[in-house]
Amino acid sequence: MNRELAALLADVSKPQQRASRVALCCAATAATAAILLLGLAGWFITAAALAGAAGIAAIQAFNYLIPSAAIRLLAIVRTVTRYGERLYGHKAALFALAALRARLFGRLINASSPEYTRSAGEAGALLLQDVDALEDRFVRAPAYFAGMFGAATALALALPAGPHAFLALFVIMAAGVLAARSFARRVLPRRALDIQEQIARLKQDFVEYAAASPEIAAYGFGPSIEALLARQAARLDDARVSFARNEALLGAGVSALGGLAIATMIALSQASLPLTLLAALAAAGALEALGATIRSLGRDAVVAAGLERLAQLAGIPGPTAAPVPLVGESIALGDDPRSVILAKGDRLAITGRSGAGKTSLLECLAGWRTTGGHSLRIDQRPLAECPPEARRRLFALSPQDGGMIAGTIADNLRLARPGLADEALWHALGIACLADDVRVMPERLLTWIGDGGARLSGGQRKRLSLARALLAGRPWLLLDEPSEGLDPATEAALCGNLDSWLRDTGNGLVLVTHRSAMLPLAHRFLELPD
Amino acid sequence: MLGEQVADAIDRIEDIDGYHARFLPLRFAAVATPLLIAASAALASWIAAAILLATLIPFALGMALAGSVASRAAARQLDVLGRLSGLFIDRIRALPLILGFGAQDRITRQLAEATQEVARRTVAVLRIAFLSGAIIEFFAALSVAMVAVYCGFNLLGLLPFPVPETLDLSRALYVLILAPEFYLPMRRLAAAYHDKQVGEAAIERLAALTPGTVVATSPAHMLAAPPAIRFKSVVIDYGERRVGPISMHIAGCCVTALSGPTGTGKSSLLHALLGLAPVVAGDILLDGRPLSPEALRGEVSWAGQATALVPGSLADNIRLARPHASDAEVEDVARRAGLIEVAQTRRAGLATLIGPRGSGLSGGERRRVGIARAMLRDAPLWLLDEPTADLDEGSAMELARHIVEAGRGRTVLLVTHSAAIAALADHRVVIS
Repeated sequence: MNRELAALLADVSKPQQRASRVALCCAATAATAAILLLGLAGWFITAAALAGAAGIAAIQAFNYLIPSAAIRLLAIVRTVTRYGERLYGHKAALFALAALRARLFGRLINASSPEYTRSAGEAGALLLQDVDALEDRFVRAPAYFAGMFGAATALALALPAGPHAFLALFVIMAAGVLAARSFARRVLPRRALDIQEQIARLKQDFVEYAAASPEIAAYGFGPSIEALLARQAARLDDARVSFARNEALLGAGVSALGGLAIATMIALSQASLPLTLLAALAAAGALEALGATIRSLGRDAVVAAGLERLAQLAGIPGPTAAPVPLVGESIALGDDPRSVILAKGDRLAITGRSGAGKTSLLECLAGWRTTGGHSLRIDQRPLAECPPEARRRLFALSPQDGGMIAGTIADNLRLARPGLADEALWHALGIACLADDVRVMPERLLTWIGDGGARLSGGQRKRLSLARALLAGRPWLLLDEPSEGLDPATEAALCGNLDSWLRDTGNGLVLVTHRSAMLPLAHRFLELPD
Repeated sequence: MLGEQVADAIDRIEDIDGYHARFLPLRFAAVATPLLIAASAALASWIAAAILLATLIPFALGMALAGSVASRAAARQLDVLGRLSGLFIDRIRALPLILGFGAQDRITRQLAEATQEVARRTVAVLRIAFLSGAIIEFFAALSVAMVAVYCGFNLLGLLPFPVPETLDLSRALYVLILAPEFYLPMRRLAAAYHDKQVGEAAIERLAALTPGTVVATSPAHMLAAPPAIRFKSVVIDYGERRVGPISMHIAGCCVTALSGPTGTGKSSLLHALLGLAPVVAGDILLDGRPLSPEALRGEVSWAGQATALVPGSLADNIRLARPHASDAEVEDVARRAGLIEVAQTRRAGLATLIGPRGSGLSGGERRRVGIARAMLRDAPLWLLDEPTADLDEGSAMELARHIVEAGRGRTVLLVTHSAAIAALADHRVVIS
């Protein structure tokens, strides 16, 4: 685990310290109670047998009330503390990981270049999966603690059995744990990694052949490709079997240690029979508790692979220093002899064949992408000197695909700027010719529009995105095919509304369209060459 | 969606792993082991065995009660968690939008609140869900305690009721040591609950997938002669994208160049001929007869945007198109596809081994392998989807000439963006 991730994990777990401590205490108590329960039961039965054999006087002298009550008490304590361990362990894990997810998302979102964030979309989906895997690690932490406590309890109970038995138990437990750990560390991570690699390879093969599926169908390659994929899948299975075999070996070793501990205690004890049985059964219980932590070493190896990916995300630097602000007095588009220079409040329409780069030009201006191979100057400064962060404060873009987040109409509009009142939202919707549509929706501004605005029509998405751009309060408005999917009457109304809005605010406009109805909005024109 | 298919084919199968490897054996053990333990205990003390078995009754009642409450809560919780992960994926997808409006802080705060809220609700659910775990724990502890107390009192002879058995120490210890094992498999099974949930969800998902149609290799060759093709108002609907309606006629025994702007459905039409695109309306006629979706599979020459490469030599990869072709034939098509020059830069020539997933070949070289295959197969119908993309203009023209030359007398449908290449064809069709 790298330093950034470790620091991040420590930071998010801090508020959960109380819950973690409760979980640890419960775990330790549960382990101790379980061992005492078994040990005490063994002692009680043996002592009772001896007393029973010794005759009526011994029976009457035997205090059975305290041990039998203690046994019942321990059974209840074990139950309650196990419940507490699980509940508080999960509580600490869930809240810490909730904070971790949000933090990692913050890192992702503050990554400096928009291109980076695009490619990180994939990594982002992994984010959830990998953080989920971490939960397991958090929840298992108390079990480790409990194992140690159980071992200590068993050693304490072994003291009366004499120094030989005590030492033997200590050696069995210490050597067992150390050997299991070194075996697990040497053998398991390599195999866990191998499984990950084989899965990745299988996925790559699958994606590659799926892309070539027309060719495979055309020539009837299907069976041979299937055989290739089956071979790769078999390699994955081999890796899994190898991991499982070693994990099982580990488990078997732990079980064998338990038997060895009982036998050794009985053989070496110098104490009376009841105390010997107390120690022997306690030792078996302790090895059971230690075994749980040893068996989970396999899980650790699997989690480690996911941690690697999270570490990459945690390593993304935080936000960079605020850029020098641009004022947007002049914008030059195109190469020198044929360039168009816009002054504040100018309105430009860009036309050109599809594929000529109109959309990428707008996205580049708006700072949604760093560069796009366009020759641009803002305030006489070349594009390279105008960082995307600074450009974003000048331009409000209504993108071609609308660009919606899953949420309500208001959620999408409020993305534009903090502190927007409902009246402002309705005003913007009015200009975008969408207010009437929203008024008849079941929950008006609070209507849920679905994933990517799927519950709206294409034209409605366009207008909602336009309303959002109007609300952003930037000096330049960038519209990418704003009237696509609108009927002529709405298109004309929209054109008129935008014209008055631009006149009232004095804002500039860069419009990309291939519909002639929107062209009267502009005063200047630029046709992009192919 | 490719991403979804990969997830179904690989991730969902991985999800079943724990279900089969852990949950199913433990479920069997959870039923079989307690009975076995009780039977073994009965050998030493049938009353102790009866005590163990008797605890099962309140245990089962408790589990049924807690289990049904917990599973309802867990199902609700799964919905909530699903919505949260959907929210994350949605916001990550919308990153450019969020950055563009400078809404990073607001969105991050919103997500932080949402995750905390989900954590709060999850803990509330766990309070109930862990009850079933607590019930197992309680009866596990109780069964040990009751057996211990019974054995102790039996040994002392102080039982308040008459029993038909008298224990000795070894038999008492024997049942005591067996007692914790009685509930152990059930505790393990409870811990494997997650494997069960994930596995069952995956199995449900996989069962819902329509089984892939088995491609029946048509015994007689469908195409005896180069066919004429007619598309009549064909509409292809992928759900998120719709193409058409398109009508056009492709003459037989001719090279037809198909061009038009991106997204108009040129590739989709070629896919439709192979039954790989969802045609929702219209007809495709081959020599006047309607085409059944998979009839042309294995019957055509194809070169497309991706070439499937298999481990083996360059020659092996070309030969895939016609397994019984002679070395000379393979070499001939390799030369015409411009692969000989490529092979000569490698030491082993056409015997050069291609690494896993075609590593060592450039995009253009992979295209040439595809073209060589099309030439080697030399079917009556050739479907070529931008076969010369990824190549510079000069090489593209030269290769296109070879293709047109080789395709004389066959029906060749050539998708291209280049006007110069389209000019080599007998006919030009433009989709708008």
